Amino acid sequence: MVELILFYFWAAIIIIAAIFTVISKNIYHSALWLGLTLFGVAGIFVLLNAYFLAGIQVLIYIGAVVVLTIFVITLTKEITGKLEKQHNKQIIPALISCLLCVFLIISAVLKTDWATRIIHTTAEDKTAKIGNLLLTDFVLPFEFASVLLLVALIGAIVIVSIDKENENA
Amino acid sequence: MLSLMHFVILSVILFSIGIFGVLTRRNAIGILMSLELIFNAININMVAFSKFLTPDNIYGEIFTIFIITVATAESVLGLAIILAIYRMRQKIYADEMNLMKW
Repeated sequence: MVELILFYFWAAIIIIAAIFTVISKNIYHSALWLGLTLFGVAGIFVLLNAYFLAGIQVLIYIGAVVVLTIFVITLTKEITGKLEKQHNKQIIPALISCLLCVFLIISAVLKTDWATRIIHTTAEDKTAKIGNLLLTDFVLPFEFASVLLLVALIGAIVIVSIDKENENA
Repeated sequence: MLSLMHFVILSVILFSIGIFGVLTRRNAIGILMSLELIFNAININMVAFSKFLTPDNIYGEIFTIFIITVATAESVLGLAIILAIYRMRQKIYADEMNLMKW
């Protein structure tokens, strides 16, 4: 029962904050709402007994991605200036297509017979298991992920750094 | 009692809100933020299926870690490209980016 109440609490936070992320007129407010959405997702991870992922979610998404987004927003736009229009003219078609998407997926989910496949288990902390798997079965993807992060790091620096010769040209 | 259905429906709603954002935002940073919403919907789905259907092997959660890694790298590179475009054209609105349009 407590689980259900907590679920609806986090779900309400996620959905309301996500809607404001998308419709907010000020892109800076939108980034703050995004932080709240990601925090709600961390709460959902706790409900799903994925404590390690909840920690990662807060550390990486709220701590890095949202902060980085806010940095870029402040670098690219005058916060105090007049607000430009943030949405294009496709609102109605976009609304229709995303409602169709919801309808399609939910009807597919409701038609599937999950009851026979669900396995009930007791809640446990799976962090140690994740660590074990990452360094045994998944060690190759793990190393690839680190290389990918290195490439992204260097790539971001190269893209953003100013090339003096090209700037004058 | 919490069931798989709750989490799947929540993630569908979050996913479609993200789709709406991607389709309607003019600001390129807004599009990237909507993409983050979509990634999070996928992550909820992954972890929920992992918990309810295959609790013995936690491959869903491992996969979520890799999704978060790739999403972070993607977001960093996207923001870097947006900054470079801003340097060049002083605009970051997606409907005004026509450099590669012929």
